[in-house]
Amino acid sequence: MDRRTFVKGSAAVVGASTLAAGKVYAQAAAPDKLRFGYAITQSGPLGPGADSTTISAYRLWQKQVNDAGGISLKKYNKKVPVDYVSYDDQGKPDELLKLTERLIQQDRVDMVLSPYASHMNLASAPIINRYEFPVIMTTATTNKTYELGPRWPYAFWNIAQPRASSGALSKALGDLKKQGKIKGRVATIYPSVEYGVENNEAFIAAAKTDGVEVVFTKSYPFGVSDLQPLIREVMAANPDAFIAFSYPPDTFMLTEQARILGFNPQFMYVAIGGVFPSYRAKFGNNVNGILVYGPADPRAPGMDAFAKAHQAMFNRPYESGAVNVYSALQVTQQAIETVGEIDRKKIRDVIASGTFNTVWGEIRYVNQLNANPWAVGQWQGGELACLFPADKAGAKPMLFPKPAWS
Amino acid sequence: MSEYFEVFLSGLLLGGMYGLIALGLNLQYGVARILNLSYGEFLIGGAFVAFFTITGITISIFGVAIVALPPLNPLLSLLLGPPIAFAMNWLIYQFLMVPLIRRAPDQDVLDADVVLVTFGLLFVFQGLALVQWSGDLRSYEFLAVPVKVAGATVPLNRLLAFVGACALAIALFLVLRHTRFGSALRAITIDPVAASLVGVDVRKYSALAFAVGGALAAASGMLVSTFNSFSATTGVEYTLKALIVVILAGVGRVTGTLAAGLLLGVVEQLGGKLIDHSLTIAINFGLFMLVLLLRPTGLFTRA
Repeated sequence: MDRRTFVKGSAAVVGASTLAAGKVYAQAAAPDKLRFGYAITQSGPLGPGADSTTISAYRLWQKQVNDAGGISLKKYNKKVPVDYVSYDDQGKPDELLKLTERLIQQDRVDMVLSPYASHMNLASAPIINRYEFPVIMTTATTNKTYELGPRWPYAFWNIAQPRASSGALSKALGDLKKQGKIKGRVATIYPSVEYGVENNEAFIAAAKTDGVEVVFTKSYPFGVSDLQPLIREVMAANPDAFIAFSYPPDTFMLTEQARILGFNPQFMYVAIGGVFPSYRAKFGNNVNGILVYGPADPRAPGMDAFAKAHQAMFNRPYESGAVNVYSALQVTQQAIETVGEIDRKKIRDVIASGTFNTVWGEIRYVNQLNANPWAVGQWQGGELACLFPADKAGAKPMLFPKPAWS
Repeated sequence: MSEYFEVFLSGLLLGGMYGLIALGLNLQYGVARILNLSYGEFLIGGAFVAFFTITGITISIFGVAIVALPPLNPLLSLLLGPPIAFAMNWLIYQFLMVPLIRRAPDQDVLDADVVLVTFGLLFVFQGLALVQWSGDLRSYEFLAVPVKVAGATVPLNRLLAFVGACALAIALFLVLRHTRFGSALRAITIDPVAASLVGVDVRKYSALAFAVGGALAAASGMLVSTFNSFSATTGVEYTLKALIVVILAGVGRVTGTLAAGLLLGVVEQLGGKLIDHSLTIAINFGLFMLVLLLRPTGLFTRA
């Protein structure tokens, strides 16, 4: 080895060690911000729903966290603000996958947040699992999560699945029948989309064990123009309970048409859209007694502040689905703060095993599924009340029978 | 039997709505020869004007409230929505369509250009509506009361839309048959070149037909919003439905539009009742395909 080589060599060694030291130093320093990424539907038919349920909750949470100084990382003894990187997946699953990969590999985000709608949530689960990013999926309700959920340890599922929400309805009817308050004759209608079909199947299966008789069950097409003839047939079957696993436009239509036709079942359930503030605004006191899917308790701790902040930021009342999304962000924040740094394996383990206080009540995951999410609520006195699961703190008794239309 | 009569009546009312939403599009497509894909946005615009009329609205500029309107009868919005839509459509024709018409060598090239431009307009209007009013689903209650027609129960708001559809179709028929303006429009429908040779100002009358079509869209949107929920993004569904009715009736067959709508509504409801309710939309498209196969120029065109 001549002198020149030796000098070069030692220079390289010194340089490398300085670089290494620099790297160690950089790792020890607190990040100046935490980067959260999400790909979500901003254009197309699902865009408005994604906006009012999911994106608005993301924006509100970010503002509130940053106003408070950020997420507290105890490893560095510092609060770090949240920054977003977001993309429009245009409602296309393949686009969502590309963009999620881009968020993780190119943008190098610290955390990933849930996309919008059942099929999109399911589509993104394998990829976030492969990269080991813990994500709480906030808008997936499909019985597939029972089988597929445990396959992806990094994916968590926040809302009530069909078997839980439909099972709660069937059990409530079975109990009313045992108490002799109802004959237990049920009519169900549902749009011929996955959500409607799965919920109807789950209900019919549960009804058998609960001793509830399904006297009428029929589907209608997605985007139906008039439900009067179908409601007429429902009335002809003379049920005392009427259940519609409906989508928002049909939820509004069937409520109006049932009222016009003077159809007064003692028990009435509408699914998606029943919790919307615009549903309450349209039907006024006629909403009282109607059971709905996916409620949030407006009297729960923290909800008053949430409602006011939402109104102030967006100039419109919140939709209950946004409360579930906000609760998932609260869980994520609490898990990060417990771990004290961005160590996604540890964050995942904390979410999987911890119990969290949120605006949507206490949340705990069993096999990554929210153990006890609010599934069914009811309008009472012009306000949403959470009924089922009945053993959850804050559950209210059911108003029965539903008052006749005024 | 009365059960079927009620379903038939429901079908008639539904068909009246189909005819109603398609009348304006047939004027625009049949007379002005512009396939306006942003048609449904004007319909939704009319629905929004009706919504804010019944709920009341505070109009503010830079956060300062200028006017606070109390809740009013949504029918009053017919005085505001259609005139605005008329003016906007007239401007769209004069400033966006006329340059396309001038440079297009033939109708096929024009059709392609028009589809691209109005498709773009669709997104511009939809985007503006989303920014202004968010994507929330809107719905209000108006005349949601039952009335008895020949012993069957029908909702008054749907009946009103049906009556509106008939009144507008008859008015259009009378204008087309008995006025000079109507004769000019019919001449343009049959052959724009020949019409211009006999002294019809094709550009002026086409612009008017296009603008009236837009006004009809807004008026029908108002009537439909009394019983259907809507949002900033639902306009395109109405454009598609209206297009089916127009093709079914025959392009340019303005009064046939109502008849085609009625047929579609009755077939849909009776078919649903007889076969299965989940097939109503399939039955709709089945009828559409049958007509395309057997009478591709439409049901009400002269052979």
